[in-house]
Amino acid sequence: MSLLELENVTASYGHAQALHGVSLSLPENGAIGILGANGAGKTTTLRAISGMLKTTGRILFEGKDIAGLGPDRVARLGIAHVPEGRGTLPQLSVRDNLLVGAYQRKDRKQIAADIDYCLDLFPNLRERIKSNAAALSGGEQQMLAVARAVMARPRVMLLDEASLGLAPSTARRVYEAVVRLRREAQLSMVVVEQNAVLAFSVVDHATVLETGKVALAGDKAELMGMDAVRRAYLGG
Amino acid sequence: MRNFHKTTRVTGAVAVLGISALLVTGCTRADTSGTGTGASAGAAEASPGITDDSLSLGISSPLSGPTAGPGSCSVAGLYTYLEAKNAAGGFEFGDGKTRTVKLTYLDDVYDPAKAVSNFRQLEGDGIFAYVGALGTPTNAAVMPVANEEKVPQVLLVTGATTFSKDQKTNPWTFGLLPTYFDEGAAFGKLLADAGKAVTVATLAQNDDYGKDYLAGFQSAIEGSDVKVVGSATYEPSDTTLDSQVTELAATKADTLLSAVSVTPLQVGVLTRAQDIGWLPRIFLPSNTSTPATVIEPGQGTAYPALYSTSLTKVPVSPAFADDEEVKAYNAAFEKYGSKITTTYTPHCAWSYAEGAILEQAFKGMTDPTRDSFMTALHSITGFHAPLLLDGITVDTTATDKPAIQGIQLVQYNGKGYAPASKY
Amino acid sequence: MEKLLARRSVRLVALAVFAVVLVVAPLVSSPFINYQLALIAVFAVALLGVNIVMGYTGQVSLGQSAFLGLGAYIAAYGVKNGWPLLLVLVLCAVLPAAVGMLVALAAARLRGLALAMITIALPIIGIPLARRFSDFTGGSGGATVSFMKAPDWSGLANDQWRYYVVLVIAVVAFLLARNLVRGRVGRAFAIVKENEAVALAMGVSPYRYKVLAFTIASLLGGVAGFSYLVVVQFTSPETLSFFTSINLVAAMVIGGSASIAGTILGAIYFVVVPVLAGAVNSARTALISGAILLAVLFLLPRGLASLPRRVRQLSARKSHGRTGATAPHNSPDGASSAAPPEIPEIPAANEERQAR
Repeated sequence: MSLLELENVTASYGHAQALHGVSLSLPENGAIGILGANGAGKTTTLRAISGMLKTTGRILFEGKDIAGLGPDRVARLGIAHVPEGRGTLPQLSVRDNLLVGAYQRKDRKQIAADIDYCLDLFPNLRERIKSNAAALSGGEQQMLAVARAVMARPRVMLLDEASLGLAPSTARRVYEAVVRLRREAQLSMVVVEQNAVLAFSVVDHATVLETGKVALAGDKAELMGMDAVRRAYLGG
Repeated sequence: MRNFHKTTRVTGAVAVLGISALLVTGCTRADTSGTGTGASAGAAEASPGITDDSLSLGISSPLSGPTAGPGSCSVAGLYTYLEAKNAAGGFEFGDGKTRTVKLTYLDDVYDPAKAVSNFRQLEGDGIFAYVGALGTPTNAAVMPVANEEKVPQVLLVTGATTFSKDQKTNPWTFGLLPTYFDEGAAFGKLLADAGKAVTVATLAQNDDYGKDYLAGFQSAIEGSDVKVVGSATYEPSDTTLDSQVTELAATKADTLLSAVSVTPLQVGVLTRAQDIGWLPRIFLPSNTSTPATVIEPGQGTAYPALYSTSLTKVPVSPAFADDEEVKAYNAAFEKYGSKITTTYTPHCAWSYAEGAILEQAFKGMTDPTRDSFMTALHSITGFHAPLLLDGITVDTTATDKPAIQGIQLVQYNGKGYAPASKY
Repeated sequence: MEKLLARRSVRLVALAVFAVVLVVAPLVSSPFINYQLALIAVFAVALLGVNIVMGYTGQVSLGQSAFLGLGAYIAAYGVKNGWPLLLVLVLCAVLPAAVGMLVALAAARLRGLALAMITIALPIIGIPLARRFSDFTGGSGGATVSFMKAPDWSGLANDQWRYYVVLVIAVVAFLLARNLVRGRVGRAFAIVKENEAVALAMGVSPYRYKVLAFTIASLLGGVAGFSYLVVVQFTSPETLSFFTSINLVAAMVIGGSASIAGTILGAIYFVVVPVLAGAVNSARTALISGAILLAVLFLLPRGLASLPRRVRQLSARKSHGRTGATAPHNSPDGASSAAPPEIPEIPAANEERQAR
């Protein structure tokens, strides 16, 4: 059974419809990518899942329809959204940001252990543990955003353009950690990326969106083999 | 988890402040006077705030904020009278001693809590009596404390009836000025005495002040040919009364009783009514009838007649320039009162007259006690205080009336006010 | 660790001294001083409410005086009708809280200026209402009550007794509020204040927590109104004055936003500065108070509560050159230097391809 399943989901911003019947499926312990050009509806899809938009169609999480729930309810169900542009809390320290991530949890000891795990995952953050998030570099903020999502111990992480605006080496470090997370934390993921190479380092299956519709879907090998995909997203 | 909020710093700062507050207070409860415990010994033992050569008075009025003008004048006139007399050798008291009288004044911004605070402070500083404070809510807040502590709270500069009507219950409190009820009644009587049919529109503040005014007016026109054909109210916080004036203008009443206590609003009434072509005879209450601040900006000369009430000669008016009392006032005010305020409102003249009433009470004081002071203060009859208009006298013997009785109805003559005898 | 213990014991001693001062002060002070101390306790509670909404949750509230006045009027009405004082106190908490919650349910979806306007409207509407419903409020002349006299067994004067009453109320309010802001709710407030989108992502509904913050603030405003009546024994429409709200906001900033100690300091400022200004020159109190306000904000932009830290900062800066020792950072425990194993080498897409 799929952990998360979108069936014919549409969404609009005001009168402008942004998704025209998108369907996709995230298996338990799986990771899928959403690829596509700017404005194809990648971010919109994530926002639809996390309840930030009015949608039609069904969004099934663990078999239950979560369409229409508010974003806070969706988050409490165990879907953690790492938004584009990161959204850390600039006036709080790195540590406090991580604690914010664990807001819904009450298992103090495990929280401490998880903080340690996150700092292990992102050693840069350990060095900056007491700094305000505002003082972090772009890469560090992205790492913090991911780590904060991890602190919530979600079932599913929605990762939106984690490489945006980062130097290639930094983006790589972020994705290295994401790969490790997937393996070690048994986290299912929906990864939105413009950079398909980075995306495919994590996911084994991807959906390509074009103007709010599913244009292609397939597993890594299939998609990498297609000329169209190579040209558009792999720079080949 | 602990560090999530930067742990609040309940450190030094608070403790140091607390300790220093303790040090500042310094004195112990036993040292302080006026707590009601020390003043119980012999009858002739002096009350707090009086020695063989001095007496101290206190006042709390609004000296800043929207009511600062009248509030400052309620201090400045009194201060002028006291200082001028001190400079001339001091006050003679009924016990044969001569004392200088010191006035301590504090700002309460028209805030009742602050007024009580100030009263407590003055009491702690050892004042003999609390005199001439301006403001209805502020004085109302002080009244129970003053009566509990048996500190005179007298000659209050307010027209509210509350302070004077029940001196049996509150024996340490009474007012200086005729009440708003009296003002309204005086105008009603003028109309009733005209002996002809008059239509009146009323505009009053939506509170006790306005109600007192209208009640006085109603009581005076009872049974006469005077008829109220329209009435409107307003809130002191309103920024314009245009709609009320328009509504009243529709009644085409001959006369407008404009019991508006806020100066800019009263100016607005005068300009609005003539703008829409309504030119009634208008009655202005004493606190918003000053020519320079109300009638001139409101172009009041457009109306057939403007009435008001007055208690005192107007020191700033050329009409009284040659009056001896006015000359003395102006000279003394220049020297003393002008350091508190330079803007004249009638409250300056009222509180100056109040100084003379106090002097009169001091003369009758046989013991240096508050009891003796209250007795003397309540024994003044037929006294003419300086600046009061002829026919207006001081009579403090009634237990349900303020000190000054009688009101002179006046009419604007293009320069200043002159007595008005008929409608 | 030693340092930590030392600091904690210093704090405990400071707290103990503070507590002793609070208890002993009224016994040795004049009624005037006691009145000031009691007013500080009154406004500290009102200020605590302002701080919870503005300091901790980051929402604008310019209407606290309306709840102060509402509480005071409820207390006056209850006392006049001879209701049990405990019941009156509870009503003073519950009714303003209910009113505050209703307003917040409608207003908390708004932000910034729109929200500020709604809160401003409360005292502006409240004052004429207080004047008009004179059967309930005593009209513009206000309501005088005489209650909470010192019982004979206490051997205390009224001013001392009333001080202790409002002190107990304030201490209880502060303890509860302290636990609140340090617990989960306080954390939710902080998240909402920092970033509403993140709050949603964390499963925290900003709307619900804003309504909660407003409700708590209104409750504290109402309780402060009860204390106000205990101390002043009088209330009138002036109690609701919009200027009181503004001054409370100023006092909150002066004391220290989102700080319990700052709230107390702010209340001291609120009460004491006008008295000091009056002592300097009664005819210029507004001017002097304004000058003090500006001075504090320039010297301590984060409020009086930041004074110890500021002093420490300055002294640290001075001693820094001499000792040369700085606390070592928490060093990464080797994990950073060891390259994470078995991560596939990812081609640096942008770098290389763009170069072609």
